[in-house]
Amino acid sequence: MTNSSMFWRIVRRLLTANYGRLFVILLALGAGAAVTSALLNLQIDAKKRLTSEFRALGANVIVAPRSANSVTDGASGPTLDESLLSQLPAQYEAHPVPAVAFLYVVSDAAKSGDDHFAPVVIAGTEGQGLAAIRPGRRTQYLEAFEHESDACEIGVKAAQQFHVRAGDALQLRNQGREATCKIFAVVSTGGAEDSQIFANLKNAQNLANLPGRISLIQLSVTGTPTAVNSFISSLRQNLPEVDVHGIKQFTEAEGRLYNRISGLLSATVLLVLVLTSLCVMAGMSNVAIERKNDVGLMKAIGASVQRVVHLFRTEAIVLGILGGLVGSALGLLISIWLGKTVFGVAAEPRLIVYPISVALTVITSIASAFPLRRLASVRPASVFRGEE
Amino acid sequence: MFLRLVADSFTRRPRRKILSMAALALGMAVATAALSVSLDIGDRLAQEFRSLGANLLATPQVDSLPLEIGGVDYRPANAGAYLPQADLGKLKTIFWRHNIMAFSPVLDVPVLMNVNRSDAGGSSQRVQLLGTWVNHELKLPDGDTYATGIERTNPWWQLKEGRWFNENASANEPEVLVGEKLAQRLGISPASKLYLFEKPISEAIRPVTVVGILTSGGSEDEVIVAPLSLAQAFANQPGMYRRLYVSALTKPEDAFSRRDPKTMTPAEYDRWYCSPYTSSIALQISEVLKGTDVRVIRRVAEGEGNVLSRVRTLLWLVTFAALLASALAVGASAAASVIERRSEIGLMKALGANSGLVGVLLASEQLLLAIVGGGIGYAVGIVLARAVGERIFGFTPEPKLFVLLVILALAALITLLGSAWPLRRASRYDPAPILRGE
Repeated sequence: MTNSSMFWRIVRRLLTANYGRLFVILLALGAGAAVTSALLNLQIDAKKRLTSEFRALGANVIVAPRSANSVTDGASGPTLDESLLSQLPAQYEAHPVPAVAFLYVVSDAAKSGDDHFAPVVIAGTEGQGLAAIRPGRRTQYLEAFEHESDACEIGVKAAQQFHVRAGDALQLRNQGREATCKIFAVVSTGGAEDSQIFANLKNAQNLANLPGRISLIQLSVTGTPTAVNSFISSLRQNLPEVDVHGIKQFTEAEGRLYNRISGLLSATVLLVLVLTSLCVMAGMSNVAIERKNDVGLMKAIGASVQRVVHLFRTEAIVLGILGGLVGSALGLLISIWLGKTVFGVAAEPRLIVYPISVALTVITSIASAFPLRRLASVRPASVFRGEE
Repeated sequence: MFLRLVADSFTRRPRRKILSMAALALGMAVATAALSVSLDIGDRLAQEFRSLGANLLATPQVDSLPLEIGGVDYRPANAGAYLPQADLGKLKTIFWRHNIMAFSPVLDVPVLMNVNRSDAGGSSQRVQLLGTWVNHELKLPDGDTYATGIERTNPWWQLKEGRWFNENASANEPEVLVGEKLAQRLGISPASKLYLFEKPISEAIRPVTVVGILTSGGSEDEVIVAPLSLAQAFANQPGMYRRLYVSALTKPEDAFSRRDPKTMTPAEYDRWYCSPYTSSIALQISEVLKGTDVRVIRRVAEGEGNVLSRVRTLLWLVTFAALLASALAVGASAAASVIERRSEIGLMKALGANSGLVGVLLASEQLLLAIVGGGIGYAVGIVLARAVGERIFGFTPEPKLFVLLVILALAALITLLGSAWPLRRASRYDPAPILRGE
């Protein structure tokens, strides 16, 4: 290209000739870039966070014995070895996987010093994250007792039935074996857990005379429906002798809801992005088409059409890069703040979003300079006479 | 003259006006689509959440402790209290009756079973029989009928083979479903005959026909699911049930709904009672079903509330971002068109128009543009929102007049704001240098 210093000088002049226009163009391009990068980033983040939000539903995967040929006789059916708990992965895709082993025993219970024994389901538990597996609220809680060896938690219905509250003790009795437990919390879940007693696994095993055995393990796996399914199938391969399955109530609904919500988000974000860039483009074209005078002058002093278009295109690229760089950075900052307002956790800025949204802005900006091609037909003389 | 000037500006430069209008229409289409999606599909999403199943559970107030593990109650039939099924129609008479999507009463009884062998001896199996409704036609107090049942409250219960039982099949040989695992273990298939009885030595043997194999992924895979009337016959409790699952459309809990209703002022109480919170629907149910204790199934209600409120906020934010971006782009386009018309403004002023008249002239042009562009944008936006709704939910959001008004007002506001700043500058112009081209 001949005389490139002149070329750049003209570009500079085109940009700075009218600060009002420059500001308006940068504002529109920057706003488009900010929305693009904020929405792209937020969308990626939101889908990830959504899978964590679903964990408020509690456990979604169960490890249970293969139903043997034995008869399921009431509560304690076939059992598993408790060593299975330590064979489960503690993490999956950078999220911890809470896993709790349960042993269910139906035994008689009564408040200490009371003779009115009534049958109740005792759930012996061991493992990390009972609160994540069995979501609920503790209506009473005495922290001091929690770590005693005979500590236990009681469902709100069972607490009513036995007339006990946190701090009281219960006596448990099953086929001649006896135990006591000290209530450190009363829990309300609205489900079957409300009428159960949660004790240490060891105590439940002693009571049931099943040392080292458990009924099942519940896990709460965070991830997209596909990730949860691949977790289940890899666990199945590692533990061929047991039955691993998703709790259909939650895995199915989660999968369905996740797909709907992420589809909704993607569609809305896509729609907004396409329309926004079209809107920015239309606005920019409107600005560009106003420049007949500049074109007329350039042609009058001998510039070729090609060169004029090249000039304007360069101007558009410079504007796109400027607006894109500033706007996208701003958008990322906005998305961090948005993530905090929606999910309470700042959205992680993903660097890939930045070049993408800058590139989209530059493309939008170039595309909006497209109508300038029509300026090739501008006749300098009539422009100067003010005819068009 | 005024109108002629406006009309002239449109007909002389159609191309420029078309572009301005396109920018406006596209911006308003984003706004309309995003607004319609947030307004309509948010509610639709709440309905999708009912695939999580029941969010309310009603049990007798005075009762022995249920020996319930994973959805099956192992109590013997003679322990504990029962509730009358005759009251259930009243559920559809409460304030929020239209939000009750489905309900199903359940009664569990332990029974003994022989497969393909009609006497009571031999290797009989002890199984749980879960009695409930499937597509049950219920007579409501107002004379209507309402169909509900377990397949609606627990949508994850699916048939592996066969069909759901028909409650009105012959009384001599009722139809039942068998859980997947139980069926596999004992080699039961649809059309198998089972013989059920209460005690090892018993004359009252009831033959039943298996019509389907049920898979639920829970403890129900180990039980027989039968019409409620059959379970009632075994428990010797005609017309009674033990647990009631209710699936209701609710509003996510917030700080207000978490307060204890007893501490509310009468006005607050009315507001709480008349909002479809899970807790207020629970209260309304316990008012019509005497002697019940209605509890919120926390994991379902809270999981739903969490996700739903987050998605709603998210959609509103996207809407807001869309509004902001389109406002800026449209404003910029409006500003640009005023900036470029300096010489026209100069000419008008030289001919004796004051700044006020010039401002009103340009503003009315912009307003005209805003109304036409906004209207087109609204139409495009509605079509797009429908496409999104249809693809994702198989449901089309209704166009709302309210959205149209918001969009038109917004378009007018944006264009006026966008042109206000350059107009102010234009009013300070001295016509002479502009006309000289300086």
